[in-house]
Amino acid sequence: MTAPLIEIQPELAKPFLQEVMERSGQLLTACYQCKRCAAGCPVGDETHFFTPNILIRAVALGDRETALNNELVWKCLSCYTCGTRCPNDIQTARITETLKKMSKEAGIKPLYPKVKEFHDAFLNCGVRWGRVNEVELMGVYELKNTIREAAAMNYKEIFNELRTQAKLGASMFKLNRMHFGFETSKGRKEIKALYKKAKEKKKAASSTGSV
Amino acid sequence: MEMAYYPGCSLKQSSSPYDVQSRRIFSELGVELIEIEDWNCCGATSAGKIDDFMAAAMPARNIGIAESQGFSEIVIPCSACYSRTLMAKKRLDEDPELKAEINGELSHKIKGSLKVSSILEVLINRIDAGEFTSKITHKFTNLKPVCYYGCMQTRFPDKLPVSDNVENPQAMETILKALGVRAIDWNYKTSCCGASAAVNDQEMAFDLMAKIAGDALERGANCLVTTCPMCQLNFDAHQNAFCEKHGIKDRLPIFFITEIIGAAMGISPEEIHADRRFVDGMDLLKELEQNERKEK
Repeated sequence: MTAPLIEIQPELAKPFLQEVMERSGQLLTACYQCKRCAAGCPVGDETHFFTPNILIRAVALGDRETALNNELVWKCLSCYTCGTRCPNDIQTARITETLKKMSKEAGIKPLYPKVKEFHDAFLNCGVRWGRVNEVELMGVYELKNTIREAAAMNYKEIFNELRTQAKLGASMFKLNRMHFGFETSKGRKEIKALYKKAKEKKKAASSTGSV
Repeated sequence: MEMAYYPGCSLKQSSSPYDVQSRRIFSELGVELIEIEDWNCCGATSAGKIDDFMAAAMPARNIGIAESQGFSEIVIPCSACYSRTLMAKKRLDEDPELKAEINGELSHKIKGSLKVSSILEVLINRIDAGEFTSKITHKFTNLKPVCYYGCMQTRFPDKLPVSDNVENPQAMETILKALGVRAIDWNYKTSCCGASAAVNDQEMAFDLMAKIAGDALERGANCLVTTCPMCQLNFDAHQNAFCEKHGIKDRLPIFFITEIIGAAMGISPEEIHADRRFVDGMDLLKELEQNERKEK
């Protein structure tokens, strides 16, 4: 398999590159394609050769569409190996994290919706109760997953997923590693106030056009 | 000595043995862990992927609580919580505007005096202070461990002074050496196990874990030692599945560093919940002989 072709869009390149650099805090223009990031990336085998250096190139060339929705953005585990090894200190995992957010803001349907659903469920559970309860997290995540698969009528997919998780849950229960008490923090009011602030900040940033 | 302690959500739930073990071995070492009051979730890596403000704000509240309780140091055994709290602290130190904004919503304001430590840093300090070896009463006879650090002990999203070698950390090896155990050198000590991909991208996580466990077994290891509750659960709960997928016959018990230390202190493994694992490792934890040092 070969890497996907990147479309060169010079007129779009500058503002897009600028935005990604500002939001991620990474100096993408310092990349000279040495590919040390690619050599160390644990998901390199899985992204069909869409390695961190290619992502940086896509952003630099202004291919917004490819940059916002590709294998690497959604498969990246944020293990930070690429950035640790980069001779120019570019932390590509910060770039994938930024592109995830930009992709969400642009309303793009993610290539791997399960990844997005998991992280959304995690943060929502954490903000709602102040602590993440694993049983609730898995419930919310599986519910989101099931609704999406049901809409696409992938019933076999739903059955397999729920069977795998139920099996895991049963063996965790046997080992007393499933927790049935409910963990909460009284400080969740403060967390919710902070979350409200985060949303206001996002709104203000998008209305002025820069973040 | 008292030290602030942040267990995090996982140590209160699926990894509760790690919570029990951490408290117990630290109390043996003369450190009483005081769980900070009404702590909240650190946001883990999910917050960083959704909202940068929340990624700093969630751990910030915990920092404020620990400081208001008068602590100068907090120990965080969970690698993810440690990494996120340390990162949040760095951002708050460097960005007074962000700090003021977050402080505006907090009842316990952040001052910035707290030191955030991983469990390994605190244990190494105990060894350096000479307060470790006298507590070790037993010696393992058949333990051939590899030390697995995963991602979040040494690699961070931003530049931070790291207390260990980033690519070849030695903290766990040093601790095991103090117990008289020689760890096996290997290639995958800081590789990623897949983390939450074990839930949302299982096939990929299985491939990553098979590479790591495969190397450990080929080098003759009979167990894997870690500090990260997420790595422990992933390798433990999914081991049969990923080994079957990749034709690996042997199995590898996955230990927290705390249960190894506990057994060497002469604490019964059952007492510190070391039997609550998918891949059984009780034999290894019980193959001990008494040290002469105890009689002295």
